[in-house]
Amino acid sequence: MTTQYVGKRIKRNEDPRLLTGQALFVDDVDLPGMLRAAFLRSAYAHARVTNIDVSAALERPGVVAIYTAEDMGDFWRPGPSLVPPPWSIEGVVFHSRTQIPMVKDKARHIGDPIAVVIAESRYIAEDALEEIWVDYEPLEAVVDLEKALEAGAPLVHEDMESNMASYVQQEKGDYEAAKAQADLVIERRITIDRGAAAAMENRGVVVNWDAKAQQLTMWNTTQAPIPIRNGVAAMLDLSENQVRVIAPFVGGGFGPKIMMFQPEEVLLPWAAIKLNRPIKWIEDRQENFLGTTQERGQIHDVEIALSKEGKILGLKDVFLHDSGAYNPYGLTLPLNTQTHTMGMYDVPNFYTEFKVVFTNKMITTPVRGAGRPQGIFVIERMLDIAAKELGIDRAEIRERNLIPADAFPVHQTVIGQDFAETIYDSGDYLPQLKKVKKMIGYDNFIKEEQPRLRAEGKRVGLGLVGFVESTGVGPYEGARITVEASGKVLMVTGVGTQGQGHFTSFAQITAGQVGVDVKDVRVVTGDTSQFHWGTGTFASRGAVVAGNAVNAAAQRVRAKILQKAGEVLEAPEEELEIENGVVRIADIPEKSITLGELAVLANPMRGAVKPGTEPGLEATEYFGPQYGATASGVVAMIVEVDPETMMLDIKDFVVVHDCGAVINPLIVDGQIHGGVSMGIGNSYYEQIIYDENGQILNASLMDYLVPRSTDMPPHIQIGHQETKSPLNPMGSKGVGEAGAIPLPSLFAQALEDALSDTGIEITEMPLSPNRLFELAQEAKTNGKW
Amino acid sequence: MKLEGEYIFNGTREEVWDLVRDPEVLATALPGTQDLQKISDIEYAGKMNIRVGPVSGVFSGKVLVSNEVPPESYTLSVEGRGAAGHGQGAGDVQLIDQGDGTTLMKYSGELQVGGKMASVGQRLLDSVSRSITRQGLETLNKALQAKGQAKTEGREVEYTPPSEAQFAASVVKDMASEVFSPEHQAVWTAVAIAIVSLMIGFWLGKSSQRG
Repeated sequence: MTTQYVGKRIKRNEDPRLLTGQALFVDDVDLPGMLRAAFLRSAYAHARVTNIDVSAALERPGVVAIYTAEDMGDFWRPGPSLVPPPWSIEGVVFHSRTQIPMVKDKARHIGDPIAVVIAESRYIAEDALEEIWVDYEPLEAVVDLEKALEAGAPLVHEDMESNMASYVQQEKGDYEAAKAQADLVIERRITIDRGAAAAMENRGVVVNWDAKAQQLTMWNTTQAPIPIRNGVAAMLDLSENQVRVIAPFVGGGFGPKIMMFQPEEVLLPWAAIKLNRPIKWIEDRQENFLGTTQERGQIHDVEIALSKEGKILGLKDVFLHDSGAYNPYGLTLPLNTQTHTMGMYDVPNFYTEFKVVFTNKMITTPVRGAGRPQGIFVIERMLDIAAKELGIDRAEIRERNLIPADAFPVHQTVIGQDFAETIYDSGDYLPQLKKVKKMIGYDNFIKEEQPRLRAEGKRVGLGLVGFVESTGVGPYEGARITVEASGKVLMVTGVGTQGQGHFTSFAQITAGQVGVDVKDVRVVTGDTSQFHWGTGTFASRGAVVAGNAVNAAAQRVRAKILQKAGEVLEAPEEELEIENGVVRIADIPEKSITLGELAVLANPMRGAVKPGTEPGLEATEYFGPQYGATASGVVAMIVEVDPETMMLDIKDFVVVHDCGAVINPLIVDGQIHGGVSMGIGNSYYEQIIYDENGQILNASLMDYLVPRSTDMPPHIQIGHQETKSPLNPMGSKGVGEAGAIPLPSLFAQALEDALSDTGIEITEMPLSPNRLFELAQEAKTNGKW
Repeated sequence: MKLEGEYIFNGTREEVWDLVRDPEVLATALPGTQDLQKISDIEYAGKMNIRVGPVSGVFSGKVLVSNEVPPESYTLSVEGRGAAGHGQGAGDVQLIDQGDGTTLMKYSGELQVGGKMASVGQRLLDSVSRSITRQGLETLNKALQAKGQAKTEGREVEYTPPSEAQFAASVVKDMASEVFSPEHQAVWTAVAIAIVSLMIGFWLGKSSQRG
């Protein structure tokens, strides 16, 4: 029997390199004669740029070139639309305005690039930035989503009639009819503000143009190396073969690095060819706030209709979505919100409508969760409010509404980000809820622990919420697996990696089929010279889509090994086994051949391979699921709040998660830990503050707070449940965004519970200690307590 | 954003008026002011070094004076910008004779700040600008007293304004005490600094012209 590694808790292959500083990151690339770039970014959110004077800056010694939109000539053009409008939704309104490489006439958000300085060092380049004089004509900024849609509001794009970028309306069943039957209808306004992805590594690009070889190499922190390669080749009128994009180790993606053809990755290849010198640009932290996409701004007006038993009869959600200044990423975010607003519950009637609004703020594109946390926040909050009004326990109201196990696949009518109807493929929610209740000690806490602690004057609260996560969407990914003459195995895929543990999980899948140790599989990701086809790492799809491609390729290589070994060992294939790099006849173990020897035989130096066969022990396979697999989870926490400082002490934290077949539980745990950390930030610390002029007021980690290790729960209990997806052979679902999605809902419920003596109701995110204090004071003043 | 405040000078309104016409005092009241040029009777342009926490740089500013009612009141419109940011605002300044030999200066205005000064310096703007404003006004008041004393004694004015280093040290001290101050919330900005300094600068320019 070949040893199987899928499902095993195996330490990560990549960690020794990462932990000892031996892994290559973009900033580690250092080429002879390399120049540095720095960008001048608009200091106004909305302003006409009437003149740019670079003459003084050009005189600074060490400055090689300065480019503005004017210098770009015909190369200046708005970026491609990365995600088209969803043609399958009837009546969709979508006005495409894609981002520009540099400001030509009008700056539309703080940080819109105005000029790039190329110099001998970053110091010189930054000094030169200060000597560029830009004449701005400031315009009134569009910041507030509702004001943006008022008649007479200033226009972000003056060729449009209003700031409404898009409109979509979808309905499942008949909400109004359901409402007419309801015992209780609750209305609320729910707001969610923006945050940054705050990856540890900011963005970076190094470009080298080899004029003699006519080859462009770009190291890029992108989550999508192959689409970048294709796009850059097209823009520069080069063959795709002349452009090599390498996404080496990347210190966190979290979404914004899937945003493609950002000004830096368009301008620098162009400049490198023009100057015939390598150029490096590494984004600094402040620049990251001004130059990297953000997410989450939405305002929801929600109505939920229920029976007196707490059964959801219908849900209506009308919301505004903040697009920022451009909309290259289409409707992915608000569609994700729409398709997650029913959560893990049976919502028979659902009306959902949104308007996307252009504002003078940074573009919004997916940030871990990508529209999903907002939808989950809406349904979970409404259920909490309903539970209070109806006097039903919050776990109980959830249990009464969970989609039952026999209902799958669940057709949700509403069309999602993959332009297809949302179908929950598989799941079993009730056992997850019960398991979480047991692990957190729900009944005991509510009946005994909480009353006892409250009697001691402690503000302790419990939160318990559920979520679903659409994952693993198409179109496809591919993988190539080769057994080398050394007997070791090479596995190559087009997706990039930003810390997901691909070097281990893909190796586990391969090793179990090919019959080698996990450590003997060399995994290569994110290098377009190694694999030609692919989409990228996003939407919790790497392990699902690329993972299944790896599995398919590994199966084919296994078949080739057995076929070749059968010939060599003169035995029927079914009598052979592969173990530890050796193929042998199961009953006669001494009759064997190593994979290395077999690989040499499969690639002969003389003679001829049989017609119709391929040389080597190699196979390439692709996988594309019909639609995305829906993962799920239930989370709970117990938190103590200091009523004076509103600082939190998370006492206990439980996640029960179902991502289908688990490849490596250690890696899944890590994804959940990371997601929880990000969710804590989204809930209680991280908010980008724009003032009324569109200025960001906290563009540094001094003022924009990310959670520290001390803000994490001391221990996260994780329960894995495996409901295999029928949509792929391995039965897997994604887990990359899981931890982050339910956290705002969890925090809202737990904090309300902890501060129940104030009568506080939380309908906004993110919070902060300050904001929670204000809300508690307001609740007290309003006499709700 | 609103900028408001008041300060009591130990001198009559006429003395304050005279004071702000004294270029030597005014030029040193706020270290960091590099120069101030008169463009027309109502328009001045100047440069100033501003440092707010991690953000520092030279700001070029323009001042436009209007509604002038000597020696009672005037309105200043200020526009300043540099590599580290930009700001614009308008403020009314009033000198009120308190009848006890002191003069109350009241100032209020609206400000808008942008760029790095707003995005990175935000948390320090409040305390730094308040501190600089207070010290600038105190320096002026001390100069006023020194001038008054010299006049009484019939000798030359001997007044040494604080050095830039002393000034900076004082800002730090003020900020440390601010941390514990209950009224932390007031919204001030760095252009407060520019406005106040340019208000003063304006009088410097005006007096140079008359001198």
